[in-house]
Amino acid sequence: MSVNTLWEQCLTYLENEFLNANTPQQFNTWIRPLQATDNKGELVLLAPNRFVLDWVKEHFIEKINNAIAALSTTSPPPTVAFEIGSMSAAPKIQAVTNVAATSSATGQQNRETTAEQNNYQSNINRNFNFETFVEGKSNQLALAAAKQVGNEPGGPNNPLLIYGGVGLGKTHLMHASGLQLLANDPSAKVLYLHSERFVAEMVRALQTNKMNEFKHFYRQVNALLIDDIQFFAGKDRTQEEFFHTFNALFERQQQIILTCDRYPKEISGMEERLKSRMGWGLTVAVEPPELETRVAILMSKAQQFNIELAYEVAFFVAKRIRSNVRELEGALKRVIANSKFTGHAITLEFVKESLKDLLYLQDKLVSIDNIIKTVAEYYKIKVSDILSQRRNRSVARPRQMAMALSKELTNHSLPEIGDAFGGRDHTTVLHACRKMKELVESSMDVAEDYKNLNRILTT
Amino acid sequence: MNPQQLPLAGLPLRDSATFESFFAGKNTQVVSVLQAMITGDYPEQFIFLWGEAGAGISHLLQACCHSAAEQQLASMYIDLQHKADYSPQMLEALEHFQLICIDDIDLILDDPQWQQAIFHLYNRLRDSDRQLIVTAHQPPQTLDILPDLRSRLSWGLCFQVQSLSDEEKIQALQLRAHNRGFELSGEVAQFILRRVPRDMKQLFIIFDTLDEAAIQAQRKLTIPFVKHVLGV
Repeated sequence: MSVNTLWEQCLTYLENEFLNANTPQQFNTWIRPLQATDNKGELVLLAPNRFVLDWVKEHFIEKINNAIAALSTTSPPPTVAFEIGSMSAAPKIQAVTNVAATSSATGQQNRETTAEQNNYQSNINRNFNFETFVEGKSNQLALAAAKQVGNEPGGPNNPLLIYGGVGLGKTHLMHASGLQLLANDPSAKVLYLHSERFVAEMVRALQTNKMNEFKHFYRQVNALLIDDIQFFAGKDRTQEEFFHTFNALFERQQQIILTCDRYPKEISGMEERLKSRMGWGLTVAVEPPELETRVAILMSKAQQFNIELAYEVAFFVAKRIRSNVRELEGALKRVIANSKFTGHAITLEFVKESLKDLLYLQDKLVSIDNIIKTVAEYYKIKVSDILSQRRNRSVARPRQMAMALSKELTNHSLPEIGDAFGGRDHTTVLHACRKMKELVESSMDVAEDYKNLNRILTT
Repeated sequence: MNPQQLPLAGLPLRDSATFESFFAGKNTQVVSVLQAMITGDYPEQFIFLWGEAGAGISHLLQACCHSAAEQQLASMYIDLQHKADYSPQMLEALEHFQLICIDDIDLILDDPQWQQAIFHLYNRLRDSDRQLIVTAHQPPQTLDILPDLRSRLSWGLCFQVQSLSDEEKIQALQLRAHNRGFELSGEVAQFILRRVPRDMKQLFIIFDTLDEAAIQAQRKLTIPFVKHVLGV
């Protein structure tokens, strides 16, 4: 019996043992993830990381040895060794394409992945291209910049820094630029990675004395795309290393694209010299999409999923789900799954039914009470002030803001909104909405407050 | 000794946490989607399940791991109830696995380290085309966690796992009895349900006690016997 067959039998044996002890969870956490491999007749069990390895050795080694002793057909039974690593099988779903990949790790044992081994992986996701990106007022500047960089890398827009809230398409734009760079020059070394991986690989390089390889690897690329650089905050050594990588690439006019969840100057724990360099090229914001863009996004996603979506249905969903593109996509996926598993056509009624829970939740999250509370907190006044009859500006302005937001974010009628604000007339609500519209257009401060509150209430 | 017989030797085989032993009730679609997701017949990378305690969510996650193993796919289940003993380091390099199941994410609301670690794991799984199922007692939009993680959790398919009605709980007990090789009458099941805590976890624990007592006494599960064992 091969050691792999032996381990398979051990798994069945141990699964039952854990079931009998009423702890199938323990089995699925610690035993099932172990992968067996044969080292000249020795059974090597691979644990994905140090923590799992230590835990298994400390808690389950006896159980494992007993199972092996009971099931092995050889005498003495094979010895067992533990190592960190995993047999990385090919993914089940093929979405990410390592565009410049020339070697495949399928079925290969992938023990210690070093930067050098990743040489050929660009990590660019083909699905995140310009064609599938929906343009709107909220993102058109960022889109134009990403295209420009994709076509003319290393120019005045180096580095390109895209910032904005969660789920608004920053990563998508970054990949799309990368794809464009590759389309223009298939031999270009374009590397996408999340900031966390940069940190992790640097730590590993430090531990294994491979800093020179690390430095060389990142400094020889033609374009470096790093996502969510806010996670560099507080990590001084990473920042130091990134700073030098940045300089090396910049001097050679190689393109750098970064994303961040806020305006980079606002990141605390980030070195000034790094912040200042990030501002050397072009910094663009992506804002939450407006209604028309949300509708267009839904229509485009539906097309990608090969689903026919009526405009009125897309409009309904987009009107109700305002926070970010991910949630919009989640809602659409839910509708599609329901339709697929019930065989029902995607009509407006069907969508209302499918998204009942989600819509109920949205309504609850943006109830008038919640709006009043949030606005009061924002302006540091009391809820009772908003509901009071007082008319001085420090109270009246927040009140009008809360009324306008109630009309914008809920489906309540004007008389209902008036009632909720201490029994006011619906014409007062109407006046407040008109006044706010006017102020948002004429005053930067009010526009900023309105935008902030909208974001707080809908994300 | 024939290895195939080993699990049966001496110990009774308990109900494995599989899809077959799950009484779906109103959750048939959730079960279908999970099954299809793991076999690769439904192209979804991320699923979020939420529901009341005792709705069977942990059972579903065990079933997913079991099913993945049947497809020769590597998986790992992480129960955040034990996070005090665990460390976020256990999430390192899990992107080599096809399926990761994280149970009770609402238990890390006050733990930024875990939140960040799960956020990074999510990204790595996404970039490696792997699958992730996360669960909580509340929908993702209401979780007070890292906004980047919250928005990602609402990105995939999200389902509420509905708790069973009393009628369905009786059927669930009967299914479990059937899987163990005996039939439980409606009256007896009803009798149990009316006298013990009615969440499924407790119900199954009591069912186990009754079943063991019946085996030891070599008796059938009748109302008088249940009365006797439960002392009611």
